[in-house]
Amino acid sequence: MSRLVLAELLKLRTTRTFWALTGSAIGLVLLILVLTLALDHGLDTADDVRSFLSSVGIYGLLALVLGVVTGAGEYRHGTIASTLLVTPQRLRAVSATVMACFLGGLAIGIVAGGLTAAISLPWLSAKGAVMLPAGETLKIFLGGALYAALAAALGAALGALLRNQVAAVVIVLVSIFVIDPTISALLEHVGQFTLTGLGIAMSGAHQETDLLPFGVAALVWALYTLLLAALAAIFTARRDI
Amino acid sequence: MVIHVLEVSDLTKRYGNNLAVDGLSFRAEPGRVLGFLGPNGAGKTTTLRMLLGLTLPTSGSTAVDGRPYRQLSDPIRVVGAVLEGPQFHPGRTGRNHLRVVATAAGLPRSRVEEVLRLVELDGAGDKRVKAYSLGMRQRLSLAGALLGDPRALVLDEPANGLDPQGIRWLRDFLRAAASDGRTVLVSSHVLAEMAQTVDEVLVISRGRLVAQGSLDELTHGAEAPVWVRSPEAGRLREVLQAREGVRAEAGESGNDWLAVRGASLEDVGTAAADNRIAVYELYRPRQSLESVFLELTGGTEAST
Repeated sequence: MSRLVLAELLKLRTTRTFWALTGSAIGLVLLILVLTLALDHGLDTADDVRSFLSSVGIYGLLALVLGVVTGAGEYRHGTIASTLLVTPQRLRAVSATVMACFLGGLAIGIVAGGLTAAISLPWLSAKGAVMLPAGETLKIFLGGALYAALAAALGAALGALLRNQVAAVVIVLVSIFVIDPTISALLEHVGQFTLTGLGIAMSGAHQETDLLPFGVAALVWALYTLLLAALAAIFTARRDI
Repeated sequence: MVIHVLEVSDLTKRYGNNLAVDGLSFRAEPGRVLGFLGPNGAGKTTTLRMLLGLTLPTSGSTAVDGRPYRQLSDPIRVVGAVLEGPQFHPGRTGRNHLRVVATAAGLPRSRVEEVLRLVELDGAGDKRVKAYSLGMRQRLSLAGALLGDPRALVLDEPANGLDPQGIRWLRDFLRAAASDGRTVLVSSHVLAEMAQTVDEVLVISRGRLVAQGSLDELTHGAEAPVWVRSPEAGRLREVLQAREGVRAEAGESGNDWLAVRGASLEDVGTAAADNRIAVYELYRPRQSLESVFLELTGGTEAST
């Protein structure tokens, strides 16, 4: 299995999409950081700082898109045939893609989170802003990295299931920006199980009571991923390539 | 029990009302090149993809080394495949494409360099695939098929896009692979090339097997008439016509020529000798593979 994951990681590293999305994630994070810190807007309380530090977890969304593009890209470019010729067992093939995207998303999360910490913490300190306890700060950054990793993994499973890159990306974006807010508005307690609700819980943006605890949110997200990966493997086995 | 490396049994594939493959059965045996011919839409690619586990049969079965492809634990060392259609990420280099496959299969990177050299792509290995010509992509496909040094090759139109030099290289390569004891199943529409490459031919039309045999058997089919030239063509015709199942007709090329059907060269020669009839010429023209193909498939255009 490890060689399959290594092969999938090599696929990730040798296409421009991965580097473009990683670059976009870092660029976006830097832009938000610099603008927020330079404008010195709304960083008066611990809640403000917590919200600021975790809001740069926007890279989780890009990691999700990376996963979707990677999972569905196999079908777009026809590389799924050579993948399955080497690994005819569909579950192993899908699992390798999901795991590689998990690691790719984790890398994006660590780099983007590390940059955020390296820039924002000294800056906030110099400005005399309220500083969060070290443990909480670390949890925010680790949560962001885990969120990015799990987001990429879920994206890969969804992409492998749907196969159409554009449709899969649109479905993800519509889900996050339209369906999730609607569900949260209409069904208060269901909102915590949406991708957005789980993402916020993992990245530690808010300490709202209607969010699931960090570990539970990560577990639910992982279960969604496993379910999608299993469905992708089943459908791939029953479909003509 | 002898295990035939590639085997298709009563294979059927239906897409809605369209019967793409209809009860097809054949074996490709080690040490031989089996050519797979058929017109457009005859079901060749569908058959090969079912053999490789990429397309599900409606009924029937396929086996590679005695097992369905999907059950092979290390398939790249058993079968190397070249498929039609896109199979490369255009932004990835040829070398990286092969490295991905090699990594997944647990093969060393040195093997990638070996196959790149073998297909003469070592100079272009670092170019992105989108910059490759059709012929280069085909060579890259072949390189991928050869990575695992497999015992069988399943090649769908491998000569597509190759220049004459490449086609010659492919022909020599396939012959060498068969001489090495490998099983080679190759579909192609380049009939002249098939004639020079294959040991046995399989012809399908509308998903059904219409002929199978060695090139000699197919191109010397019983339907080809025996031509005989004799100064006593009229008498010879009477002698031959008197035999059951034999039909002799005056040839178009002259009154002393006869076209004889339902008799072998030996039958005609012996009949002439027994009746003391002089014979100046006696032969059965070998049909070209192309004419046999067109005859068997109802004159449909050669396939892709």
